[in-house]
Amino acid sequence: MQRRKLLQIGAVASLTLVTVGGGLVWMRPAAPSSELNAESRMLFTAVAQAVLDGVLPSGPARASALAGHVERVQQTIRGFAPAVQNELAQLLGILCTAPGRRLLARLAAPWDAASVADVQLALQRMRTSRLATRQQIYHALRDITNGAYFSDPMAWPAIGYPGPRDI
Amino acid sequence: MSKLDDPIQQGLQRGWRVLGGSRGAVPSTLLCDVAIIGSGAGAGITAELLTKAGLQVVIVEEGPLKSSSDFRQRESDAYPSLYQESAARKTADKAINILQGRCVGGSTTVNWTSSFRTPADTLEHWRTQYGLAEMTPPAMAPWFEQAERRLGIGPWLTEPNRNNELLRTGAARLGIAASSIQRNVKGCWNLGSCGMGCPTNAKQSMLVTTLPAALDQGATLLVQMRAERLEWRDGRVEALHCVPVADNSAPTGANGVRVTAKHYVVAGGAINSPALLLRSGLPDPHGLVGKRTFLHPVVISAATFADPVNGWDGAPQTLYTDHFLQTQPLTGAIGYKLEAPPLHPVIFSSTLAGHGRDQADMLAQFPRTHSLLALMRDGFHAQSPGGSVGLRSDGTPVLDYPLNDFVMDGARRAFLSMAEIQFAAGARSVVPVHEEATPSTSWEEVRRKILGLSMKPLLTRVVSAHVMGGCPMAGSEAQGVVRPDGTHWQLANLSVHDGSLFPTSIGANPQLSVYGLAAMLATRLAKRLTGNDVQLA
Repeated sequence: MQRRKLLQIGAVASLTLVTVGGGLVWMRPAAPSSELNAESRMLFTAVAQAVLDGVLPSGPARASALAGHVERVQQTIRGFAPAVQNELAQLLGILCTAPGRRLLARLAAPWDAASVADVQLALQRMRTSRLATRQQIYHALRDITNGAYFSDPMAWPAIGYPGPRDI
Repeated sequence: MSKLDDPIQQGLQRGWRVLGGSRGAVPSTLLCDVAIIGSGAGAGITAELLTKAGLQVVIVEEGPLKSSSDFRQRESDAYPSLYQESAARKTADKAINILQGRCVGGSTTVNWTSSFRTPADTLEHWRTQYGLAEMTPPAMAPWFEQAERRLGIGPWLTEPNRNNELLRTGAARLGIAASSIQRNVKGCWNLGSCGMGCPTNAKQSMLVTTLPAALDQGATLLVQMRAERLEWRDGRVEALHCVPVADNSAPTGANGVRVTAKHYVVAGGAINSPALLLRSGLPDPHGLVGKRTFLHPVVISAATFADPVNGWDGAPQTLYTDHFLQTQPLTGAIGYKLEAPPLHPVIFSSTLAGHGRDQADMLAQFPRTHSLLALMRDGFHAQSPGGSVGLRSDGTPVLDYPLNDFVMDGARRAFLSMAEIQFAAGARSVVPVHEEATPSTSWEEVRRKILGLSMKPLLTRVVSAHVMGGCPMAGSEAQGVVRPDGTHWQLANLSVHDGSLFPTSIGANPQLSVYGLAAMLATRLAKRLTGNDVQLA
């Protein structure tokens, strides 16, 4: 019963989002839902710095690690089925508008201006939110980020994984 | 890349008829004796038996044909190419991640080789509750024996890896017995990369056993081709309509194929099989199609040890305990089977909970991490009705599986059981995979914390690799989509031969249950269609 109630609240929140943020998204030129635009790349760069804090390299290697990571996120999304791509594209579109970002992620600053601590706080609040929609967003962003980052052999030495065996 | 021989490449050079994807154009119409939808456990067994009987078979697979020379032990290759929805298939509320194969060989190409006969108490439940009178252990034994012979299923005599040994150690200290899991392998290299496709062809999946046998007998295999719709009239299926799809299962827009056959066997796996029936608008007078879909919902407990565990190294899931399936009646509170899954970077990092510095600390312990999983036996209690398959606006399926209090009570008990075993095995710390959980350093501490967790969907990490049900087999039309012989109750020339047949979950890793049942159904179907007696092995 409780869960149904939460889902209903989630649905109401989603409806509000579509009204608030969706209009802005739909006014833009259509792009294939499999492709990340510049704003979505900024979002995933910010999320990576928060989720992978303590894992990403520091210093000059950081920028290239992040660039490579966002490319792998792009590859990951290209592998998704169209229905998932569309759902994700809609979500990213909303999260990349100021009202959508504030309402769903509760993040005041734009993704490329927010500090790592701000994004981590936003993620943590979504993670433990009572709204299913916000929890789902946390899982989507966090899982895509981890999956893309740790699929790269460059990420393996830091976690002690030796990689494939020679056969 | 593997330098070993690739039997699929060799077969293609011998002239196997494989069409679709990069293998060449598919004609707009195909005529055959039997069209088989899917190429996994049920489809592979069926294809071999029907071709042995002399039937012309067309096999339709949505995924690509990949084989040992493609299997590089890399998750980044395997998940997008071999799994449904890039290994990120989710239930409707996104609370359960489902691992299911989508490639030639289906889930058998990517599973972890665990082989169990259908438990006797599950069969008894089917006999008494679903009118499947024949399903006694002695009556089913010959079918399981044939599958075991054909697929090299037997005891695994190599020492378990440490990830598995810790399950036995901890359980033994608590007086709980753990047993060995039989595996379908021949000459296994003990690499541990089963989930990414076997690079040495040791795993006796459909990819390297029954499908090559069927192709050698003249079967046609269509790849990257989705079975879109069955055309039917007057109690019979008249054709199967298929459309070509891209690597991510998006329709390419190219022309499809209309396959006409005397008989049609649906074996696309639970979720895709009921979805095909739903898309086709087949008769469903009792509203059963896609309902009662089961998952063996899985929860996970991670522990760190002082010494390396190297959970990626060596055969996965070689030991198990059924102790917690037997602590209550089959139809009582939900029970669970415990096993030790393999750990690789993507699956590990995306399954564990958390982010930022806490996650970094946990990942730094990766080589010393041990994990246990509990797969819950769903479908035997009124409060465990499973989920239901529906269709999105583009016709693709989505499973709605509500994680209710009955299931989540089992998840909490499973967290407790796994943590106690891990501490008994000498764990330094244990954390149940739950968004509210933090590592604990003693059994008393973790017990207290687990009792305080909010056991809710999306807070509790739940995964599944066993999708079952949705086209149940039953002795009466009111309870089943298909009859006890696998044929559709309303359409005479349509059969279902996959895990969607099961009226409940199995209570064990299901591949051998599918093999045994499909062997029985396909042997009899071959006899009905040709008069010939055939045997799998």
